[in-house]
Order: sequence, then C-alpha cells, then structure tokens
Amino acid sequence: MIGLSFGHRTVREAEHWLHEVVRPLGLPGLVACTHLTQHPFPHVAISLSTDGEPPAGLLAGVPVELVVAGEHAAAEHSTRRSGRAVLFPGVARLTGVLSVDELLAASAIERVTALGGVPPAGDTLVETRDFVRPLWAEGRLTLVTTPVAGGRIGPFEVPEPTPCCADH
Amino acid sequence: MGHGHPHHHHDHSHDHDHDHAVGGDLPAALDPTVPETELSPADRSRRSFLRNAGLLGAGTAATVLATPELAHAHGNGGDTGHGGDKEPKGGFHWLAGDHHIHTQYSSDAQYRVIDQARHARGHGLDWMVVTDHGSVAHAKIGVEKVNPDIVAAREQLKDLLIYQGLEWNIPAAEHATVFVAPGRNEVAVLKEFENAYDGSVKNAGGSSPANEALAIAGIKFLGEQVRRRRVDGALFLANHPARRGIDSPHEVRAWRDADPTVAIGMEGAPGHQAAGLPRPTAGRNRGYYDNGPSADSFAGYPLESYRTWGGFDWMTATVGGLWDSLLAEGKPWWISANSDSHVNYLDTSQRGPGSNFDLNGRHDDPVYGPLLTDAGDYWPGQYSRTHVGAASFSYRAVMDGLRAGRVWVDHGGLISGLDVRARVAGDRRPDSGTPLGGVLRVKRGTRVELTIDIDLANTPNWSQFVPVLGRVDVIAGQVTGPVADRDTFTAPTARVVKSYEVGKGTGRVSFTYAFGRVDQPFYVRLRGTDGNRTAPGLMGAHVDPFGPALDIAGDADPWKDLWFYANPIWVLPS
Repeated sequence: MIGLSFGHRTVREAEHWLHEVVRPLGLPGLVACTHLTQHPFPHVAISLSTDGEPPAGLLAGVPVELVVAGEHAAAEHSTRRSGRAVLFPGVARLTGVLSVDELLAASAIERVTALGGVPPAGDTLVETRDFVRPLWAEGRLTLVTTPVAGGRIGPFEVPEPTPCCADH
Repeated sequence: MGHGHPHHHHDHSHDHDHDHAVGGDLPAALDPTVPETELSPADRSRRSFLRNAGLLGAGTAATVLATPELAHAHGNGGDTGHGGDKEPKGGFHWLAGDHHIHTQYSSDAQYRVIDQARHARGHGLDWMVVTDHGSVAHAKIGVEKVNPDIVAAREQLKDLLIYQGLEWNIPAAEHATVFVAPGRNEVAVLKEFENAYDGSVKNAGGSSPANEALAIAGIKFLGEQVRRRRVDGALFLANHPARRGIDSPHEVRAWRDADPTVAIGMEGAPGHQAAGLPRPTAGRNRGYYDNGPSADSFAGYPLESYRTWGGFDWMTATVGGLWDSLLAEGKPWWISANSDSHVNYLDTSQRGPGSNFDLNGRHDDPVYGPLLTDAGDYWPGQYSRTHVGAASFSYRAVMDGLRAGRVWVDHGGLISGLDVRARVAGDRRPDSGTPLGGVLRVKRGTRVELTIDIDLANTPNWSQFVPVLGRVDVIAGQVTGPVADRDTFTAPTARVVKSYEVGKGTGRVSFTYAFGRVDQPFYVRLRGTDGNRTAPGLMGAHVDPFGPALDIAGDADPWKDLWFYANPIWVLPS
C-alpha cells in the first residue's frame, strides 16, 4: 500500500494520472483510489494497493508538503474507511447493463446499496454507464446506486456531472 | 446585543469587528437603538408596520432568543398601497415572485429582460429579480448595460416590481442571489460589490479560510451600503445550496451572522425543475443536481445531500436536517423557490446568432429557433413561486416581507393562499396572531395553537390542471439555542407532529393544531404535498413518515410531485 499526492484539484485530474501512469504498469491485484482531502489545501490524493508492494518509485514525484496527504490516503484505504476506487479487479468488465449479482461476481465490489431506499435485489439491473466508482465504506467496497428511469438502478456518480455554470 | 458566538474563524485574517452590535448594522427603521423621534416619517411608518406585525427583530436579529421587543401581531399597521392585483389577506398583500432569473447578460442564458419580465407577469408574478452571473465580463459591461433594459421594463410593466441583482459567486462557496432596492446607486453598489467580492472575478472560488472571509466581508459591505443610505435595501439568499456540497454549515451560519439584515435565507427548492423530465436523450437530474463530493465539498455531507427530494434541496427537504438545525438555534433563516431560468423547456427561441459575449457583455437578442425539448428550466412563475406577505405593493415592502420571513413557497400552483398564525388558544380575531417568520412571546403555561387557513388551488396551473392538495404536515422542533459545533446540520427534536389529509383542489380548508400549555421554546413550520410521491424521511419514519422521495434522473415529472413549504413561526414562553 502506498499513498501519493500531486495536488490534483479534481478527481478527473487524479484519474487522468492513474490512467496515464499507473494502469500501463499492469500491477497485479491493483486497487487504485482517489481521496478527497482538505490538507494542506483542498485536493485529491491517491492510494494504491497491490498484491505485493507497489513500485516505490511512484513516490518520487510527491512534493514534500503533500507527503502527509498521501500517507493519510494510504491509511484510509488500508483500513477500508474511505476512498473511491477507480482501478480495481474486474472494473473492465463493468460495462453496459449488468444485474447486481453479475456485478458482484465480476468485480471486487462487495456490496451494492441504494440511496434513499432499501438495498436492491440481486436481479436488479444496473446501468453502469461504463463508469463505476465504488467507495470504501464500513470495511467493504461498496457501490452506491440510485434508481434510474425504467425501474433500473445506476451508480450514484455520473460520468459527466453538470459543471457549475453549464450551458443550460 | 452582540453576536456572542465564539470566533470559529480563528484562522481568518480579516479585520472585521465580529463583536459589533447587531443594532449598529441595521437600517434606522429596524434599529431599536434609534428613537422613534429621530426617524423620517417613512421610516417611522415602516417601523410601526413591522412592530405591529410582531416582526420587529425577528428577521433582523442573529437569533430570535435575544430579540428585545416583540409583540403579537395586530394586523396591518399602515403603509397601504395599491397591492398589485392581490386582495389583502390577514393584513398582508401576498405577492408572488422569483429572485433567481437570468438574461442575455449571462453567458449561459439567452433572454432579454423584457422577455423574462413579460413571462413573469403573464405567469402571475408580482416581483422578480434579474440575477445574471457574476463574471469578469459582467462586472465590466453587463452590470451597467442591463440597467437600462430593467428601467425600460419597469416602465412598460407597471404592475411588476423588477429588481436588479446579481448571481454572486460566493467566495469559497456556491452561488447566491444578491439584490438591492432600485435607486440612483443600484448599479454603482452592485458593480462595486461584484468587482470587490465575486468569487469568479477575484478568483476566490476555492475552499479556504481567506476566501470564506472574503464572503463575509462582501455581506458586510452590502449592509454598509444600506446603512450609508446608498441603497434602501440589500438582500442575500444562497442559491441551490446543497448542489455541490460546498456550502458548509459553518459558512451558512457565518453569512447569516455577518449581517442578518442582508443574509436572510436560501433556496428551499432550486430552479431547473424541468431538468428531470423523461426525454428521449439520457435522463438528467431534477434541478441539475447530479454532482458528487469534490475536494472543496464539506466532508460531513452525505451523498443524499447532492440530490433533490420532491424537487427540494436536501437542506430544506430533510426534517431534522440543516434548515431545522438553524431554526432550532433560534436563527431566522428563510427559504424560497425560484426558476433559475436560463433556457426554458419547450420554448422556441435560440441565442442570437453571431453573439460575442466576451466582447459585448451580452448575447445578441434571441431569435426564433427550434423547440427546446432538452432545456431544463421553466419561465418565472410557471412552476416555482415565492409568496411574500407585504404591507403594500412596493419595492421596499417586498424586501421587508422577505427580511421578515413572511414567506411561503409552492410548486405547480399546489395551493393559492396560505394564512398560518400562532395564537393564544381561542383567539380568533382575524387581525391577531403571529404570522410566518414571526415570534409569539407568551407567559409560560399559556395555551397556544396554530391556525392554518389554506386557499386550495381553485384555478388551473400552468400545465392546465387544478392540483389536488393531498396532505398537510405540521413540523415542530425545540429551540435549543446556539450550537457548540458550527458545522452542526441535524436537529434531533424536529419531527412531523401532525398530518392532515385533504384530498381537494377547490375551496378553502382550515385546521387548528393545539400545542397545549407551552413551557419550552419551540418553532413550527408547515409543509404540504399532492401526496403522489412520498418516502420515509432521511432521519427515519418516526421523524417524518411520509416525506419527499428521492427524485429519479430522467423520471422526475415535476407536475406529478408538488409540494409547498412555509417558513417557521417561533413560540417563546417565558
């Protein structure tokens, strides 16, 4: 487990770094998470866990003032308290429409919950939008969902949220 | 009285005097330290009205608990005007309005001022506020250029009050409506404010103690302009407060406390209510509430806060949530409901072709265009309305009514009139009782009751049906005083204490809720619904058995999920 921070302002920037730098390494058992942190200023830190130790060379570029933010991210991830998984076993299979049971079987996600309602049944269909970002919560990798039109559910997080002054 | 709260912003560097007495920040009419004899005749009349309505102090003090002088209402104390087209009810002219409307002076909007104003009037509004986005281009050009358009619209539509305002990018936080009373300095004050305090102009959007301090300084600046009589009034209401989780509870409290004569409330329901309608393209969220936590968000907010519930913002929709936590403190903080109109659903116009917004500070006038099936907004007054009990049909009276919290809001014309009063039990005089936003002070042990008179919809709404009111909920909570943790966003004692089934859309219904002999301070507020979509509240079914349900992206027809909410009344036995 290692924690990193490059002061990315948004999860999108942090994800970009993960896709450019970490994914090509093909690390076995990789779970890469983003962590929102307020210290020393609001930004997005990163944690990586793998089978065995992640390459320590990745730590080389972390600015000294952000080392603590990275360490905090690693601690949150290792205790499974918080963190938002971007890369995790099975994520590539989570595309299109899957049942809850299929999603659980295909990936490292351990449970599926529903915002404002009872947990969905195993045969409930999940519209993944090809964008699935489960959260560490209460020790388990958890996908929070909301109902979507047509009696299905979808991940709480949408891939392209409305910017603050959108063209609407 | 002083604010009396601890300096939670210990890391701020701003030099403003937190310990300044609130009285010193008040316009003369509202300032109890200014003797009656020193007031102008207009201010004397204004104070008389406020006092007689039981309101002096309630909406202008940091907390109702410390209000020095409050009386029961005795109806309309004077100041009568022509009152728009509304009959006075309970001594007030109830004037419907919208404080969050964009025009071609916003980069993401398109309509002329007169377009919005004509539709507002056509949809039955009595007052509106033009709130184009704060930006470099707007501060340089738009804030001035829009004014002649507003002045012309005022001339053309005499029965509509049109305020000039701004959608302020609050430093370190969300957007807010800021507006001032019309007058020779309206543009100058808004322009100075925008240049000095807008989060976009000042590049101060991020969450930091320095930016939070800039927001406080901005609110104090507005109060100062009123005190110096540059403008007759200035108000602030936080817009779509929970949308991105960046209005932390301590910021909301700090805005209010910075100047309670200016920072008076928040949108209980955001605009963009058509955004969640079913449509062929991918579904959007009602209110465009589709974000999640970011690095600037308050970490304590749950994911539920990022979505709307029955069309309302989580801070307001949650019984026992953030709004109730402010009311339980005794902190006057009011809610509103607005269109946030930028581009309207099923309109047939488009932005002027060839516009150069950055150069001109505006888009060219709109032209005829294709049917806007993907737009997410309604015209002002078409769906969302903020009803203000005003002494007269005037700019000043609407601002006074807003400041007093004499306000209720509805969606889709669910009801047409609401008269709620806290009374000493048995008192049925039509001109007595404490109205919305007020404070009823009684001797401990007095029997107190709430009278509720509702004019049902009676007429078709703007989707051409007569809404049926299904249920009315009375919500009450203990007043427990200032919170130790300024980031508190729960109120454990708030709950629905009574529900009335109605099931009618025409006529008038009346209810009386008896509180019995009162010996502890509490507040009470009202909510009603068509009853089409309900779910147990987020604090549990024992708190709110039939609360608003989570709105579903792409499946949120707002006309089939109607609610009204009223601002609170406090009852303080002593």
